[in-house]
Amino acid sequence: MIIEALEAIFLVLTILIVAYLARHYIFTVIVLRNFQKHKRRCAVTDATYRPTVSILIPARNEEKVIGRLLQRMTELTYPKNKVQVIVVDDASIDNTGSIAEHYSKTCSVIKVVHVNKGEGGKGKASALNVGFKHSTGEILLCFDADYFPQRDIIEKLAQEFIDPKVGAVQGRVIVLNEPQNIVTRLVALERIGGYRIDQEARDCLGLIVQFGGTVGGFRRNLLEKLGGWDESILAEDTDLTFRIYLAGYKVHYVGDAECYEEAVETWNAYRKQRYRWAKGHMQCFFKHSLRVLKSSHLGFKEKIDGLLLLNIYFMPVLVLLSFVIGVPLVFLQSSQWLAAFWISIPASLFSFVGNFAPFFEVGIGAYLDGRTRAQWLIPLLIFTFLYNILICTKAFLDLLLSRIARKNSNIWTKTAHSGNGNRYIMS
Amino acid sequence: MKPVTFALRCLILGFFLAAVAFCIILSFQLISTEATVILVIFNFLFGFLTSLLNETLEKKLFILFLGNLIGLFWNYVFSLFAVIAAEYLGEFFHAVYMVLNPILNLTWIVSFWSTSLAFFANPQASKRRRRLDN
Repeated sequence: MIIEALEAIFLVLTILIVAYLARHYIFTVIVLRNFQKHKRRCAVTDATYRPTVSILIPARNEEKVIGRLLQRMTELTYPKNKVQVIVVDDASIDNTGSIAEHYSKTCSVIKVVHVNKGEGGKGKASALNVGFKHSTGEILLCFDADYFPQRDIIEKLAQEFIDPKVGAVQGRVIVLNEPQNIVTRLVALERIGGYRIDQEARDCLGLIVQFGGTVGGFRRNLLEKLGGWDESILAEDTDLTFRIYLAGYKVHYVGDAECYEEAVETWNAYRKQRYRWAKGHMQCFFKHSLRVLKSSHLGFKEKIDGLLLLNIYFMPVLVLLSFVIGVPLVFLQSSQWLAAFWISIPASLFSFVGNFAPFFEVGIGAYLDGRTRAQWLIPLLIFTFLYNILICTKAFLDLLLSRIARKNSNIWTKTAHSGNGNRYIMS
Repeated sequence: MKPVTFALRCLILGFFLAAVAFCIILSFQLISTEATVILVIFNFLFGFLTSLLNETLEKKLFILFLGNLIGLFWNYVFSLFAVIAAEYLGEFFHAVYMVLNPILNLTWIVSFWSTSLAFFANPQASKRRRRLDN
């Protein structure tokens, strides 16, 4: 009886893993086919459309990187009379505020909002809400302080809003400090899989395009209707993505709108960042799963994709569970079919966690980007996945305990930036 | 295309396809059903995705054949190792082998996939990288 129950659980887990692998195989084929046919998404866009834009930059202790971004803000090609840059100095204890003030004096479009120590430091969502109150633009764009966008990125992102169904847009993130070390190289590969294939395929197929919290933006009136960012969720970006879709709007992905980020450089920083993402994403799963299923605005395929997306940070935990259940079953040789299903489990080990992009997807993404050597690191995905199993399991257990105790255990751990990305801009 | 060139091309393609089929049959005859399943998965994954890449068919088929050859060799060596180890360690090793075999097989598939894509990569497309100033 116990063995049959374990077999049933193992079968369900295997089906889920195979579903993810099949989904990403389809994503990869779709993007490759579009690449072959030089086919682009048929979006309603207008290159002359110039709405007023407010750019929100939440910054907490970002003195090493904020100057780089603000300098780029002064170089944007978007009409200066239609753009407003709001830097939210979120109770910084370093020179972030004074650097922002310096740029504010030299460039009239930059405005600095200082949040004092008593009210600040509550996380990115809180800082964005402060910036939102001070903004006036029809469109709101967000950039993290460690990012470095193209000069014409605003035009590329804003033109998508000519379509009234578009509630938000997402641009492409590329790692700036990729050559720095093995961590940054692996994060760069993850970004390639996630943006070059995943987001593009979702956009092409009319699925749930994820707003990544930065290099993107929203309609002001939609954000007002939604009540701004939810400060109780650690993954405020995923939360907003689903609230936008549930309100009947779409998110568009604009692959040409590229922005460079300074990726985490150490495994410890990686752990802290992924823990926050995992926990926040799991919070979103509990908040939105039922709403997605019941939504009248979402079609069948969007619902399925939405649920798979919400479940993504549970996958490392479920893969661990499938190993815990599967290994004894294989040892016992309980069923003939088990060996066949067992083959699919290890395939998931060679995947990235944030998007569950498997090795073949990452490889094709790198190929499409013309990367001749980056692919060589793909076999190392197994180590990041094993590391993420620990991170996600801890996030899951912490969330479970906090829900049982009915205690909010959200602690926003800010990702520290060293400013090492500057050297790649100069070169 | 000249008839001679066309015939030669067909001959090369036929050779590679037959070689791939031979590898799969050999894996079934010499090694195990699991090895055959792994090779079929590899061919499905690799064949279908690389068929969409901008490369010559000969190059793609050659790489596919090479992958099958490596897969066959890998599985053959491991099966020999498993037979010998099972002789000394008994049934326990057989179970360990059952658990680890797919993971070890994935290792060569992923490694081969990443290396071969580097072989396919088009350096011209890389010019879009580091386009920091548009």
